[in-house]
Amino acid sequence: MKGGLKIFLIILAVFLIAGSSSIYYIFNKPHRNIDLETPAYTIDAKSLFNEFNNDETLANLTYVDQVVQVSGIIAELFIDEHQISIVLNDQIKGVSCELDSLTIDRNKTIIKSLRIGDQITLKGKCDGFDMIMGVVLTRCFIIQ
Amino acid sequence: MKLKYLLLIILIGSMLSSTAQKFITKTGFIEINSKTPVYTIKGTNNKVASILDAEIGEIFASTLIRSFQFQEALVEERLNENYMEPDKYPNSTFQGKITDYKKINFSKDGSYDIMIEGKLTIHGVTNYIKERGKLNIKNGIITTNTEFIISLKAFEIKIEDAYQLDDVLLRIRFNYQLYSI
Repeated sequence: MKGGLKIFLIILAVFLIAGSSSIYYIFNKPHRNIDLETPAYTIDAKSLFNEFNNDETLANLTYVDQVVQVSGIIAELFIDEHQISIVLNDQIKGVSCELDSLTIDRNKTIIKSLRIGDQITLKGKCDGFDMIMGVVLTRCFIIQ
Repeated sequence: MKLKYLLLIILIGSMLSSTAQKFITKTGFIEINSKTPVYTIKGTNNKVASILDAEIGEIFASTLIRSFQFQEALVEERLNENYMEPDKYPNSTFQGKITDYKKINFSKDGSYDIMIEGKLTIHGVTNYIKERGKLNIKNGIITTNTEFIISLKAFEIKIEDAYQLDDVLLRIRFNYQLYSI
């Protein structure tokens, strides 16, 4: 009797631990860490825009949801208390990048010194192509 | 794809041919809030673009579904990879107008209560909406704020799982600047 009860309790404990860890996982699954990911592609902003412009379907299959490292000239700079967005290459034919909050915290001085016309390299997740914004990247980190 | 270029050409073309005031934003903000039996799901998107044609009171807005970021990574994964089917329907758009735009003086600072109506397309499904909003003009920047509930079922977004999501609160804010090329 004692042996059976002990085994039962051990099995019950295992289930409880397994169960609670999966609940923990559901609520606390870590976000994908773009900062640590190696970019799947390294490309300049003008070429990236052209690829989407010429064949959006193919570019979507290639770049969407991938980490892309993109470099180019700053064409537009937008800073407010909620976000920082940098458009590379051109206001209309550009790559629109939203900075991740982590990179904003780390690079406050660099960000203050950014000007239109500067060369910059960013790494972020490609979300796709928008008619007004061009190629859209979010969760971007400043590389250079 | 052709429709997109047509729209862009019309926008740019009409811009060059008239002295009309067109305003643009590429950093619009949408927040999604939904209460479920378990907890509140909250997501935000800072990459929303919109063009406002002050002369005729028309608004066009677009965003990519994948640009929404959620506090819970698993929610983001489920929504983005499953329920929203972003491979099929990567964008969400709004094509509409400010119903009572004629009462607005866009060249002066001011505050207005407005009605916004038009076609909202999410997940490939279009529904006509008509919602209240507020419009502020200050120092040449036009800010619109609106908040309304949408039914996911109305856009054929089926959420299985324990989330039991249907009603979602959208909070939308645009800060427009004069469009100058």
